Amino acid sequence: MFVEIKDLAFHYPNQKDFTLAKFFLTMEKGEIVSVLGASGSGKSTLLRIICGLEVPYSGVIKINNEVMSDESRFVLPEKRGIGMVFQDYALFPHMNVYDNIIFGLKKLPRKERKERADEVLELINMVDFKKRYPYELSGGQQQRIALARALAPQPSLLLLDEPFSNLDADLQIKIREELREIIKKAGITSIFVTHDREDANAIADRILRMEHGFAYPCTVKI
Amino acid sequence: MNQLRKWTPYFNIWTLLSVIIVLLVIAPNISIFISFFVESSENWAHVKEHILPELLKNTTLLIIFTSIGTILIGTSLAWLISAYQFPGKNFFKWALILPLAIPPYIAAYTYNGILNYTGVIQTTLRNRFDITVDQVYFDIMTLPGATFIFIFFLFPYVYTVTRAYLANQSAALVENARLFGRSNLAIFFQIILPISRAAIVGGTSLVILEVLNDYGVVQYFGVPTFSTAIFQTWFGMGDLAAAIKLAATLMIIIFMILFLESFLRRRKNFSYTTTKIRPLKPLRLTKWRAWTAFSYCMIVFSLGFLIPFIQLVDWMLLTYDKIADPVFLSLIKNSLFVAVIGSLMIVVFSIVVANFARIHRSIISNAFARVTILGYSIPGAVIAVGILTVFLEIDALLGEIYNFIGIDSVLFLSTSLFMLISAYVIRFLAVSYNSIEAGFEKIGTKYNEASRMLGMNITKSFWKVDFPMMKVPILSGFILAFVDILKELPLTLILRPFNFDTLSTKAFQYATDEQIHEAALASILIIVITAIAILIFHLVLESDERRS
Repeated sequence: MFVEIKDLAFHYPNQKDFTLAKFFLTMEKGEIVSVLGASGSGKSTLLRIICGLEVPYSGVIKINNEVMSDESRFVLPEKRGIGMVFQDYALFPHMNVYDNIIFGLKKLPRKERKERADEVLELINMVDFKKRYPYELSGGQQQRIALARALAPQPSLLLLDEPFSNLDADLQIKIREELREIIKKAGITSIFVTHDREDANAIADRILRMEHGFAYPCTVKI
Repeated sequence: MNQLRKWTPYFNIWTLLSVIIVLLVIAPNISIFISFFVESSENWAHVKEHILPELLKNTTLLIIFTSIGTILIGTSLAWLISAYQFPGKNFFKWALILPLAIPPYIAAYTYNGILNYTGVIQTTLRNRFDITVDQVYFDIMTLPGATFIFIFFLFPYVYTVTRAYLANQSAALVENARLFGRSNLAIFFQIILPISRAAIVGGTSLVILEVLNDYGVVQYFGVPTFSTAIFQTWFGMGDLAAAIKLAATLMIIIFMILFLESFLRRRKNFSYTTTKIRPLKPLRLTKWRAWTAFSYCMIVFSLGFLIPFIQLVDWMLLTYDKIADPVFLSLIKNSLFVAVIGSLMIVVFSIVVANFARIHRSIISNAFARVTILGYSIPGAVIAVGILTVFLEIDALLGEIYNFIGIDSVLFLSTSLFMLISAYVIRFLAVSYNSIEAGFEKIGTKYNEASRMLGMNITKSFWKVDFPMMKVPILSGFILAFVDILKELPLTLILRPFNFDTLSTKAFQYATDEQIHEAALASILIIVITAIAILIFHLVLESDERRS
């Protein structure tokens, strides 16, 4: 199994109730899983735990047979090699598109960096936007740049936190098909969090429903 | 077993530095607390019986009357400026902050110079009109005189906080009250004062802390308070132990005041929960009403800035030739040197702790943030006592090492500039911390997190992502700390190395040596630099608020 999560539990320091409990998930390489749930169901917290921005109370997270978090080990987020597309994209406002994309490629030599940037810009069809600043882009364009930025360092796992919530309804339908295509083309294992059933249906190979911190697998698409 | 994993995110340089900084800040305060319970000296019995009651009486009177005065003036001005349109309003909106640029001790000797026998008022009366007045009516060097100085030079603390609050928060309530036909005076007392209570309490507690911190005014006017008594027992009686006891007593009073403040503010922060803030639309005042408003603002502005400033300029012109010499230049150099080094350290420390606190939102990081801003509540004289005891301890510990590396002094650290600068850092850390924390709050954690997901660690993320967005808050944090150090008096007087003078100590020394005219040049420099810095700060603040 490429991703193995066992018995994950979490609660925020000032809260008694668990935000997440008894969470299990296994994923094949290249699989796209949707986590579907209402706001407050713990799905965003789940992503923050997987990528290492929160420390779980208990449980094991393994990616590509490497332990990211268990009883004794905790790998810092910057060392996990996980990509994340944030809900509001978090594009760095003081950098242009190109600098945003190469931000995660600092270890590569300059030439390869440029090649990789062109590659992902090609993938999202936005080569001409290199020099633009985030505030000069539409919501849909920002979202694609955020995706490209996360894909550029070739993460082992891609996490997407409600990537459509800031888009108009028309745009949303067009973009989610595009998104599935891009992710499948890149062949990257992804977990995608949403509150929208349609989104989940359109993108995912498999859907997981979350309620009050507990997850229920859906054997068929809803 | 769960523990190790839980603490892993804390293993970084920011945590380590934050712990060191917090220890640095807290050490002098703890040393005072501990000494409070140590057996007291002979002098302490004397001080307790004969001096303490008067100190308590004077301090209480100063606090009460200054608070009443600053609340009345500060809130009434804030209300006038935010709710009405009248001639000169836009000028006064900013000008009424300027009294903060004149440190109360400078105001004190300036007013004394204006009012005393040889001052401009009495000489004019004598020479032009042949009137000789009873000195009693012109003696400002009294407790009421000190209260007058504090009120007119500290009221902007209440004015600025309350005005900012009213401008953004009160529109709906005030317009409703106007529709119900309430008179303006009734609106002020029944609506404005109650809803802005939290703002007023916040501003007033700053005023009280400034009054307790003051040494210059009360020393010059001969009104014994804790600050003067600490100086007197320490340098006059040579009894550091008794000085520490006094400092500890004062600290207990401070904690009572802070407790009272948080009690008065609890759940009384009437802010709208919506983000749609509508500014209050000012009513146009006409005829005599407009001129009354204008005159009121003008009188306060004149007393709090114009009159003393013009007087100082006049004296400066008289003494300029005599004063401006290489020695004076070295004063400027000294002042700039300690202010720049001190505020740089303050800004760096603030960034470290604020960044630590926002990344690890936990009980510990909250406590760290609290400790960092503690110093601002503690009067200079108390911090001075605390820091000196700590430095003496360190010197005692390091004595052997000094010998070994050939330093010729057993009091190496406690006679160095380093001690003075550490004291500035502790006292004024809060000033820039608040600015920097607010900056971090505004950009949030998402950019930092995005950067970490792209493989950068906390430090790299800070330099590449957060720092470029934090330039304005960092700069304003620097400016605020800079001017506070520039005009600081009690800490500098106590902790400066031998023969080291700054603009503020020299100005104060001239004034206490009855050379008030000679104090003018240094005073003006302090005032002008401070005034520019304050105005820039408030302009940036307002344009920031408008944008967000």
